[in-house]
Amino acid sequence: MSQALSNRPGLDFSLTPHDIKRRRVNQLALRIIQIAAIIAIVPLIAIVFVIASKGLPHLNLSFLVNGPLERPTGIVNAIQGSLVMTFVAIVAAAPVGIAGGIYLNEYASRNVARVGELLIDVMLGIPSILAGLFIYFAIVPILGHSGWAGASALTVLMIPVVMRTTQEVLRLVPAGLREASLALGVPQWKTTVFVTCRTAISGIMTGVVLAISRGLGETAPLLLTSQSSNDTAINLGQPMNAMTVVIYQNAGSSDPQVVATAWTTALVLFALALILNVAVRFKTVNNRIF
Amino acid sequence: MESKTTSSSARAITNPSSGAVMNNDRKSVIAMQLTDVEAMYGSFRAVNKVSLEIQARSVTSFIGPSGCGKTTLLRTLNRMHETLPGATVKGSIEVNGVNLYGASIDPVRVRRSIGMVFQKPNPFPAMSIAQNVASGLRLSGMKANKQVAEIVEESLRKSALWDEVKDKLNEPGISLSGGQQQRLCIARAIAVEPEIVLMDEPCSALDPLATLKIEELISELKTRYTIVIVTHNMQQAARVSDTTAFFNMGADRGGFLVETGPTTKIFTNPTNKLTEDYIAGRFG
Amino acid sequence: MLEVPTYRRSRLSGELPFRILTLGSVLFSASVVVALVLVIMQKSQILWPVEAPLTFLTSSGWFGATDPSGVITAAFGAWPMIWGTLVTSLIGIAVAAPIGIFAAIYLVELAPKRIAALLTFLVEIVAAIPSVVVGLWALGELSPRLRDSIEWWIASSLGQFIPWLSEDPQQPSDTSVFRAGIVLAIMITPMVAAVSREVIRSVPQSLREGLVGMGATKWETIRLVILPTAKVGLFGAVLLAFGRAIGETIAVRLVIGMNITAVPTTLFQSGSSIAAQIAGAYGEASPIEKGALAGLGLSLFLLTMSLSLTVRLLMWRSANKMVARA
Repeated sequence: MSQALSNRPGLDFSLTPHDIKRRRVNQLALRIIQIAAIIAIVPLIAIVFVIASKGLPHLNLSFLVNGPLERPTGIVNAIQGSLVMTFVAIVAAAPVGIAGGIYLNEYASRNVARVGELLIDVMLGIPSILAGLFIYFAIVPILGHSGWAGASALTVLMIPVVMRTTQEVLRLVPAGLREASLALGVPQWKTTVFVTCRTAISGIMTGVVLAISRGLGETAPLLLTSQSSNDTAINLGQPMNAMTVVIYQNAGSSDPQVVATAWTTALVLFALALILNVAVRFKTVNNRIF
Repeated sequence: MESKTTSSSARAITNPSSGAVMNNDRKSVIAMQLTDVEAMYGSFRAVNKVSLEIQARSVTSFIGPSGCGKTTLLRTLNRMHETLPGATVKGSIEVNGVNLYGASIDPVRVRRSIGMVFQKPNPFPAMSIAQNVASGLRLSGMKANKQVAEIVEESLRKSALWDEVKDKLNEPGISLSGGQQQRLCIARAIAVEPEIVLMDEPCSALDPLATLKIEELISELKTRYTIVIVTHNMQQAARVSDTTAFFNMGADRGGFLVETGPTTKIFTNPTNKLTEDYIAGRFG
Repeated sequence: MLEVPTYRRSRLSGELPFRILTLGSVLFSASVVVALVLVIMQKSQILWPVEAPLTFLTSSGWFGATDPSGVITAAFGAWPMIWGTLVTSLIGIAVAAPIGIFAAIYLVELAPKRIAALLTFLVEIVAAIPSVVVGLWALGELSPRLRDSIEWWIASSLGQFIPWLSEDPQQPSDTSVFRAGIVLAIMITPMVAAVSREVIRSVPQSLREGLVGMGATKWETIRLVILPTAKVGLFGAVLLAFGRAIGETIAVRLVIGMNITAVPTTLFQSGSSIAAQIAGAYGEASPIEKGALAGLGLSLFLLTMSLSLTVRLLMWRSANKMVARA
């Protein structure tokens, strides 16, 4: 029999000094972790409050419907530009992303699927400025600085978001559903479209909304492609304004009025992004991603 | 100091609070005394008032159909039940005269004296075999040194695992087979020399050969530790334990203690009809 | 008599077009990525005959011109931008990684259910803040505050012996590398926290119980089992966030100052980053300068791509390990 432990617990349940030290270390460590959690969230919460407090005073109907050259000044062209370019981009990106996600999950062999995973990783990791640079070099010489160029840059950024989300939700659909359909004699492509995708439709829509959210929030690629304009007519062949660009251009101004415009635009943009994100969360919670 | 339960002077008495039938022997040493123990998940009573005694240096088994609260009750014995959100325990569990649920008792301290082996072997993946066994010792503040190494070897010998792993003590704990992993977990539990070792269906995830090895191990370990084992396998209880407590599910879906007594008696001549029906396989 | 239905020719006609469509989408996306790299590479070609890539990457200064006779001189130095990108992102991740991981630990291990739900909800809201808005706030609110408090404090204490933490007390800078790093930290912390949260949640409950059953405190459980088991995933989360920080353009640009000709001597002076420079200079760039910008873009792409590949390879390796054990 070996020597007994110098601190064999025994059955007296009293705390040794070492136990007390462990308890103190534990309490200290947990306290630090709690503080870290607070530090993580506080600056961003502060930003939300600042957005509200600085943006609300100037928010009124004329701000939303007037153009930048009218008095009082407004951002209607920026709102239009953001929405139009994002809409065009998602019309292009969603089908490509969804179809690509379908192929990678339903048809691709294991190796091809791995390569696909890598591809989406790389595509997701492309900094948005480079998407803008690419379109600047490739499309702008042909179409000029225009809404089309801006939308193209956004498309490059949106495709991987949709593709990844689609692939992930399709993966969650139980194999049994596909098998049941195939056993009924339904061809594979119909199974994929009418059974698998229909089951995952909520998740796929989530992916689309996330991509739209990303598109609305981008600045750098638009600076290089669609740039900005004061024109209130919607013309995709010409430079188009966007909310993010307005914020950026006004941010460094020494004129407080101009900076105020930036804040109010930020409020509108943030509210829009918030509605999208929360709507997605609600839908997911209620439909449990299926 | 050690004495096993003998049935020669057994008398059947009915426990006044729970109505369970107990076979009493005045000669044994009692390791744990449960009095009116209830376990709750929120407002759902998973275990109704249980009073029983766990004999020292012996194997007590909890048997009964699924869902009758055996595991829940086991987990109250080392204050693990309350780690789940909303879970509470009523009643008292006395060890060595001290109520484990007393106001001044630190649950962390309780768990060092009362070890646990779980249903699914759970060696720590980030640690080697030796580190796994030594983890409890290191927590108690022992520095890595010869003494720790000796204790690790001894615990592995006691768990009948030493010969199989002595050449690969530095390999990750999860590189062993299922049965070996469970013996590793047992070695880990006994390295800190707890008085009482709780086992929650330790063989249910193992193949018959590994199960046999662990049952042999339990028979050896009981000379030194008090063991309480939950098992859904009646035959295992019959093979391995000295005392058996039979639980059943009541109409309110909560568990209650039906009968407890020496294993031979429970399995050959139980007092309660429910017990007899369960043993005979008429339900469960 | 049984009526045996006659089979129609099975409708394989829809299958092939569908496969072509879906495969085509994958190929299209791949070609977009390839095109991006090729186009940027091609546009940078104009620079290499005049200035060697190594010189480009390691020198400082930003000048290039074509004289009337067509002779091009180019002395574009990407080093200050590369330095700026790396340093700001490192500052960002050095702050965001521990805070984000601890916040994730808090969410998973410590927070009572209601608080955890509330915090998760708040993180959703905060994740919706576009980066340009963070930049706007940083420019107006954070930057001057940081300059007057933390930067001043560090400069007057540690800055006395550590040269790169000092500043000119008469003229503290309006923009600084340090502040850009802090802004990045604020932006990527939610990302670190969100991914880390998933990683920590996936540590099996049985491991936690094993340690608790041995009488370990909560912190000991975190330190001895959860963190080591989650190590690889957490590292991946940190790398992902680092990649995001490297690519961030606008928030950095507003706060860093666009000092493109030299590496600043202290952290509290202006600097620049690759993305910020591309966003700033493309407008009036001559063809040779555009070539330099393309060169910058190429180096940025190489950085982010190697990060993405590393993360994915890490994940594949740890997935293999898990499978081997089972």
